[in-house]
Amino acid sequence: MTKPTDLVQGTLDLLILKTIALEPMHGWAIAQRIRRVSNNVLQVNQGALYPALHRLEQQAWIQAKWGESENNRRAKYYSLTRAGQKYLKSEESNWERLSSAIGLVLKTV
Amino acid sequence: MRWIQNILNRLRSLFRRNNAEQELGSELRFHLERQIEEKVAEGMTPQEARRAALREFGGVEQVKEECRDTRRVNFLETLLQDTRYGLRMLRKSPSFTFFAVAVLALGIAANSAIFSVADAVLVRPLPYRDSNRLVVVMEDASAYGFPHDTPSPGNFADWKLRNQVFENMAAIPYGGFFNLTGDGNPEELAGKKITANLFSLLGVSPALGRDFRPEDDLPGAPHVAILSYGLWLRRFGGNPQIVGKEILLNYEKCTVIGVMKRGLQFPDRETELWVPAQFSKEDLSNHGSHYLLVFARLKRGISLKTANANLATIASQLEKEHPDSNAKVGAFAIPLREEVTGDVRPAVLMLVGAVCFVLFIACANVANLLLSRATGRRRELAMRLALGATRARLLQQMLTESILLSLFAGFAGLLLSLWGTKFLASLIPDGLAPMTGTGVDGRVLLFSLVVSFATGILFGIIPAWHVSRFQLTFSLKQGGGQSGVGSGGHRLRDALVICEVALAIVLLAGAALLIRSLQNLYHLDAGFRADHVLVMRTPLPRPKYEAVARRRAFYDQVLAQVESLPGVVSAGYTTWVPLTNDGGATGITIEGRPEPASGNLLIPNVRVISKNYLTTLRTKLIEGRSFERGDAEGKLPVALINQSMAKNYWPGENPIGKRFKLGTYREKSLWITIVGIVGDVHQAGIDVPARVEMYLPYEQQNFGYDPEYLAVRTSGDPMALTETVRQQIWSVDKEQPVAGMMPLEDLVDENLASRRMQASLLGGFAGLALLLVTLGIYAVLSFAVTQRTQEIGVRVALGAQPRDVLRMIFSQGFKLFVMGAAIGLAAAFVLSRALVHLLYGVSAYDPASFAGVTILLAAVALLACYVPARRATHVDPLIALRYE
Repeated sequence: MTKPTDLVQGTLDLLILKTIALEPMHGWAIAQRIRRVSNNVLQVNQGALYPALHRLEQQAWIQAKWGESENNRRAKYYSLTRAGQKYLKSEESNWERLSSAIGLVLKTV
Repeated sequence: MRWIQNILNRLRSLFRRNNAEQELGSELRFHLERQIEEKVAEGMTPQEARRAALREFGGVEQVKEECRDTRRVNFLETLLQDTRYGLRMLRKSPSFTFFAVAVLALGIAANSAIFSVADAVLVRPLPYRDSNRLVVVMEDASAYGFPHDTPSPGNFADWKLRNQVFENMAAIPYGGFFNLTGDGNPEELAGKKITANLFSLLGVSPALGRDFRPEDDLPGAPHVAILSYGLWLRRFGGNPQIVGKEILLNYEKCTVIGVMKRGLQFPDRETELWVPAQFSKEDLSNHGSHYLLVFARLKRGISLKTANANLATIASQLEKEHPDSNAKVGAFAIPLREEVTGDVRPAVLMLVGAVCFVLFIACANVANLLLSRATGRRRELAMRLALGATRARLLQQMLTESILLSLFAGFAGLLLSLWGTKFLASLIPDGLAPMTGTGVDGRVLLFSLVVSFATGILFGIIPAWHVSRFQLTFSLKQGGGQSGVGSGGHRLRDALVICEVALAIVLLAGAALLIRSLQNLYHLDAGFRADHVLVMRTPLPRPKYEAVARRRAFYDQVLAQVESLPGVVSAGYTTWVPLTNDGGATGITIEGRPEPASGNLLIPNVRVISKNYLTTLRTKLIEGRSFERGDAEGKLPVALINQSMAKNYWPGENPIGKRFKLGTYREKSLWITIVGIVGDVHQAGIDVPARVEMYLPYEQQNFGYDPEYLAVRTSGDPMALTETVRQQIWSVDKEQPVAGMMPLEDLVDENLASRRMQASLLGGFAGLALLLVTLGIYAVLSFAVTQRTQEIGVRVALGAQPRDVLRMIFSQGFKLFVMGAAIGLAAAFVLSRALVHLLYGVSAYDPASFAGVTILLAAVALLACYVPARRATHVDPLIALRYE
């Protein structure tokens, strides 16, 4: 039951926010989408996904609504709030700065 | 704005918890189902798919718990949850709950009750303005046997005039009874003459009317009085029109000018009335009669030390100016608070210590119970850990339970202490902030609440910490097992019992020492027998009894009539019965000795009495003769002296037949012949040794104070004769007030009241401790027997006799007792030194007391061991081996 480190947690948050920025999605679909888009590299563990969703909702970056799923069952759909969109933008640019910085270090050294 | 949303979310989840739970459940279920569907689509059978999906998902409950964690109003919600759960647990085991609450309630009640006393005595400022600048000024006449002497008016006047350290000084002369006649029943009131500046010095002002003014204090000024609030309500129905009205005080008209503010008791609780002292010029130049209480207010920024230095300087000036009266007479100030609380301070501190001990014992007891229970609840707790609860969370839950317990106990304890403080009010000396009506105010309430919380944490933390630490797998495997002792829990329980025993020994030893002191005092020969004696006062009013012949006629007639009553053995008049006046002394000069150097004046106590007074009190005649009928006015003046006076003034000589006179060497007064020696009487207190003292017959002496105390020895219950005696007095003078009728034994009881109170309180607390320790030992051994059932069964199966089993359990219990007793005795040995001032006739290390309480506790411990040990011998090996 070790908690994900901050980096991992922050990364997962970013992935979730980016994924639902296109359209409201339920948890299952979010996990599937991340996996597919990353060519099966990023496997989101459910044990981490749902606490992360609830935390993001708690912090009012995303909001949840119950709706009909593809196969006509009730599912909880998450979408970005205004604050969430802003937060996503700033996190994205943070991430780019960070990854290009790491990339620079890796190339030069 | 986001934080508002955050709070709203949290609040919503708090109030819609069921809803949120359901949503969480269906959200995760949806996810699982989708995963299963996918696996089925990949070609698995539904069962396989389900198993694989669950495996991938991990612990559903743990995920749920983590999700809950994110949205909790953490503290508040867990608190609510734990409280609800705790209440359920407490309800489920009512006998445990009742026992724990009762034990703690007793401990908390003792603390709350003693707190209200300690608060008044030690903490709260006196109810006067800037009370830490108020001091009492006294004379140091150690050379004459009065280290804390009441000052003379002359000295008071000179101090007041010459000092540079006090803002103001006020005085109250000795005396204090007033006859109130006129409307309603005649009544004797306790009142004080005071200098006009006393109230302003204290910083209090009347609720109605005005304070005294300097002109009221001049000799010959019109009579005025200020009533206490209590008297105003009681006697005058709280009528505000009283201000300006005249009342009859000591048969003279006197105008009421004010009603003092509510609750002011100065200088003592009894005082109901104040009049101006109106010192005359002669009074204020009298340095020889010492009968004042003097109060002063330090100037701002002046320390007590500076003030005392200044007083010493003035005292040495006065020594030179008035060598006759002031030689070797010093002066000093002590804080008013110290003067008021000095006597009870050590007793209250002792009681504070005692109740803390009781509370510790109660805590240890309940901690022990909780530990035993926690061992029983191991499986439940292990389950919680497995389901994702953190250890901190477990700790919090256990603490919530124990604090719940202690809050219940605090409430019950507060109710108990309500009843207790009434009883304790008499421990609070006069002149302190009066306790509010019921004895419980906001401070006591707050204190009890804090103590309850602290108690809950104190007794909860050890078991909680212990429990939150144990090994998960171990506990699950043990299955809440009977033999799961291996966690060190028993060592903790043993340590707690040892502490209890040690604390109880300390309390018991202290109580034993105090009780022995009290016994010593009651059996002490104080020089008089208080049983079967009725005492009262018949103060003869002036000017009616101005003539000495009239007074003597009154005493003669009353004595003759009272002594003729059936049921009366003898009767006598005296200026002061024992325990009513510490001093009452006068200077004498012995015939044939050179003029004493100044400061070597002989000042024995004097009592003016009728001839049967000493036999009435059963004071022994040691040598010579007692007073006789012939010792009348105009005949040879005679005196009796006590043994101390004989020994001190005529060492190695026979004083009988020797002569002395009252007053100084040059004074022209009659020589008085000593005709007998009587036993020493403890006048100042049962535990205060006698001073040098002489007795003079009232027929021959016209002393400054009337022999107003009448003592009557009866053959039966003295209180049965009150009415007949009163009638006899009224048959002599039908207007004569008769005051303060009581058995002399009441005065003795009153004199020992605070000691009795201390002894009975400490005794009570020690008894409580004894009870708690018994329960503690019993609980630990019972638990141990249950835990060792299997082992005992094996031993019995292998041939152990009941005797062996008994010995095994006894030795386990007794080992605890011996260790506790050893620690306790060592601690008692150190701590009893603090009791020295409260003891009488017994050493603080009295071996008999220490041994006695150890034996008592040992007997009780044996008893507490016996019941569980008996149970152990009845263990049936067959059942025991299947016990798991």
